[in-house]
Amino acid sequence: METPRPTSHSDFLVNKKRIRVLGLSLDDAIKIFFGGNAVLSVIVLALITYFLFQEGFGFFGQNHRNLLTYRQAGLEYVDFIRTQESGHIALTRYLSDLRLRQYNEYVATQKMLPSAANDALAKFDEFAVQYGDAVESIRGMVSDLTEQATAIKTKFLIAEDKKIERQQLLAAGKIEAAAAVKIETVDFAAELHVLKGILPLYKETNADFAKKLDAALMAAPKFTTPELSARFDRFKELTRDYLATFPSTTSSLETWDYTRPVPWYQAISAFLFGREWLTASFWQDWYGIVPLLMGSIMVSLVALVIAVPLGVGAAIYINQIASAREQRIVKPSIEFISAFPSVVLGFFGIAVLGQSLRWLSQQAWLAWVPGFPFSERLNILTAGCLLALIAVPTIFTLAEDALQNVPKAFKEASFALGATRLQTIIKIVVPASLSGIISAVLLGLGRVIGETMVVLLCAGNRIAIPDFTAGLAVVTQPVHTMTGIIAQEMGEVVRGSIHYRALFVVGIVLFFLSLGINFIAQKIVRKYRISIG
Amino acid sequence: MDIKSPFSSPASGRSIPVTTSPAGATLIDIDHVDFYYGASQALHDISLKIEEKKVTAFIGPSGCGKSTLLRCLNRMNDLIDGTRVAKGQIKIRGIDIYDPSVDVIELRKRVGMVFQKSNPFPKSIYENITYGLRLQGRSNKSDLDAVVEKSLRGAALWDEVKDRLHTSGLGLSGGQQQRLCIARAIAVEPEVILMDEPCSALDPIATVKVEELIQELRTKFTIVIVTHNMQQAARCSDKTAFFYMGKLIEFADTRAIFMNPANAQTEAYVSGRFG
Ligand SMILES: Nc1ncnc2c1ncn2[C@@H]1O[C@H](COP(=O)(O)OP(=O)(O)O)[C@@H](O)[C@H]1O
Ligand SMILES: [Mg+2]
Repeated sequence: METPRPTSHSDFLVNKKRIRVLGLSLDDAIKIFFGGNAVLSVIVLALITYFLFQEGFGFFGQNHRNLLTYRQAGLEYVDFIRTQESGHIALTRYLSDLRLRQYNEYVATQKMLPSAANDALAKFDEFAVQYGDAVESIRGMVSDLTEQATAIKTKFLIAEDKKIERQQLLAAGKIEAAAAVKIETVDFAAELHVLKGILPLYKETNADFAKKLDAALMAAPKFTTPELSARFDRFKELTRDYLATFPSTTSSLETWDYTRPVPWYQAISAFLFGREWLTASFWQDWYGIVPLLMGSIMVSLVALVIAVPLGVGAAIYINQIASAREQRIVKPSIEFISAFPSVVLGFFGIAVLGQSLRWLSQQAWLAWVPGFPFSERLNILTAGCLLALIAVPTIFTLAEDALQNVPKAFKEASFALGATRLQTIIKIVVPASLSGIISAVLLGLGRVIGETMVVLLCAGNRIAIPDFTAGLAVVTQPVHTMTGIIAQEMGEVVRGSIHYRALFVVGIVLFFLSLGINFIAQKIVRKYRISIG
Repeated sequence: MDIKSPFSSPASGRSIPVTTSPAGATLIDIDHVDFYYGASQALHDISLKIEEKKVTAFIGPSGCGKSTLLRCLNRMNDLIDGTRVAKGQIKIRGIDIYDPSVDVIELRKRVGMVFQKSNPFPKSIYENITYGLRLQGRSNKSDLDAVVEKSLRGAALWDEVKDRLHTSGLGLSGGQQQRLCIARAIAVEPEVILMDEPCSALDPIATVKVEELIQELRTKFTIVIVTHNMQQAARCSDKTAFFYMGKLIEFADTRAIFMNPANAQTEAYVSGRFG
């Protein structure tokens, strides 16, 4: 527009007067303003990413040292025996369960009085005590060893702290003070010699333990129903399997060598595949992401199972079926849900939803629902329901967009061939917008998996891998999530500590998860744009 | 071909009598029709008779109501809120298609439509053609195969696409897409095919192909075609209706309209003096 028209008058002015500030025209200023904003956001993004990685990556080195200490201080050695002991605990738990069943059998089916039932169980109790006590000597040994190993570890950690102190003093130029710091070097070989000296005694105790279990099994009690007998046979089998693991425990102890290096990749695999997230423990800290990841996934899954039918269904209804008036009312209402601060939803979840779900689960007529009744008010289900509420507006809005983008011509063609409205929706509109709907669902998932406040307040915050053997009832278990753990623990950890860095790595995993979900969603959207033309 | 009783509605059982009437008998009788989009009247007192197995062309300047009238014939206007036929009747074989007892789904199976802009579904060629049949619950594979071939041959497209029946219909050229839409319309064996400017988005060569196709289809179907193109109306149609401002100005044999129009406006329009 600024090219002057050819004119015969040389004084014919077409250029408008330009305002210039600091030599910049208005156009330039606008360009710089918006360009600057774009550059700034890219820089901020890069800085955040850099910061995440910088804080996080130190974790793996620290975790490696953590694992190395675990070995060198002999904790690993003790844990071999401890594992054996906990195997026994699991078996006695099975036994208590069996007693309860037999007791119920007596009381409920045979109509015995409770006291009579207990009398009838006297032989069983005798057996159970015998079985339970067999482990005592091993247990004593474990607690002695625990003390010893903890002492070695503490000594080592103090020495490490002193080293750091000395370095800091040296760095500050206080050479004398630095020299005055006494560092007691830990002689692992000597310390562990004592620990390992236990081996002959262990072998002896263990043989005795095995013999006692065998003897207990010989004097096995009788049960009144075939079902219970079968259970007891199963128990015997489990005990035999348990006894079969003894030689491998012994050989682990025999071949254990504290000098064996911990491969570097274990620092990573112990994180990625670690089944325990255990911090500030007197014994050994574990940073395994699996329980948190599982928690996040389960909660998001439940949220999607609820939100996808709701969001997509509402989108189809509003876009294809509803009258203009309904659209005017429903659309803003659904979009309004996203205006709730998630902490408010969290309150609602604790005070209303969790409470009512639990109340509902305890109604007799709903007892057939898997997992009902449950006692934990805060669990996967409660958090999932609330997250669904957060995901619905996202899924609804984007799915509605996708449906809106289906060319009207497709619908017309379908109607002109004699299709009903429902047929047109199912066979033409939804398939044509399917990739858009899928990406809407993925973006909803991204929204949900990154949500923090709701899960922190409502997921129950128990760090454990959900027990999938419960089937569908798994959703009534409390879990902890990746976002939740960061929010909860970040405030309490010492900056730069392994725990602090572990939280950052969890953040990185979360970051990549969201990135991956968004990436796939974008891919699908792009493909869908092309296919519709 | 087995013609089921069309326009029957389950409620009343009314159906349009099927007669193998000779070409030239009245099939659609449009009788003093007024049509409104909300408050604005788009058609004023239209009356004309569309004859069986003939090609009837609607011509007239843009906005004169050609598409509106065409879409009244298979009640596609029902899809637009606030539309209504305020006066008059449209009868097909004597049955008023706006009667509440008429099943509109059934009507649209008997009165097919081809749109101005080709609109194949984002599905394979095969699925495009079988769509209407599947809606009717027909799923026998060899049956469908036969219909696909017959329809594509009928639309003069078979030789071009027979090797890629299972590729997307959107991958065809514009002209091929439009013929695919015609094939899709004839696959359900309608009696009437409505065409709303079927060639306006096509290049001259594709246009010629579609016009040739119309000449072949006229032996089997009653065709109503809206066109902007005077030559096309002259070449393809038996009868021509000229509309202006929502009114039917003149309706006569095509030859008469172009050679010897009775009305001065018609004369001005067909000779290219306005429109
Ligand atoms: N969906 C609609 N809503 C309201 N008015 C419409 C609609 N479609 C067409 N019209 C009006 O009806 C008149 C006839 O349009 P149309 O039948 O499309 O004309 P033609 O096909 O002859 O160009 C025009 O004035 C147009 O503005
Ligand atoms: Mg038109």
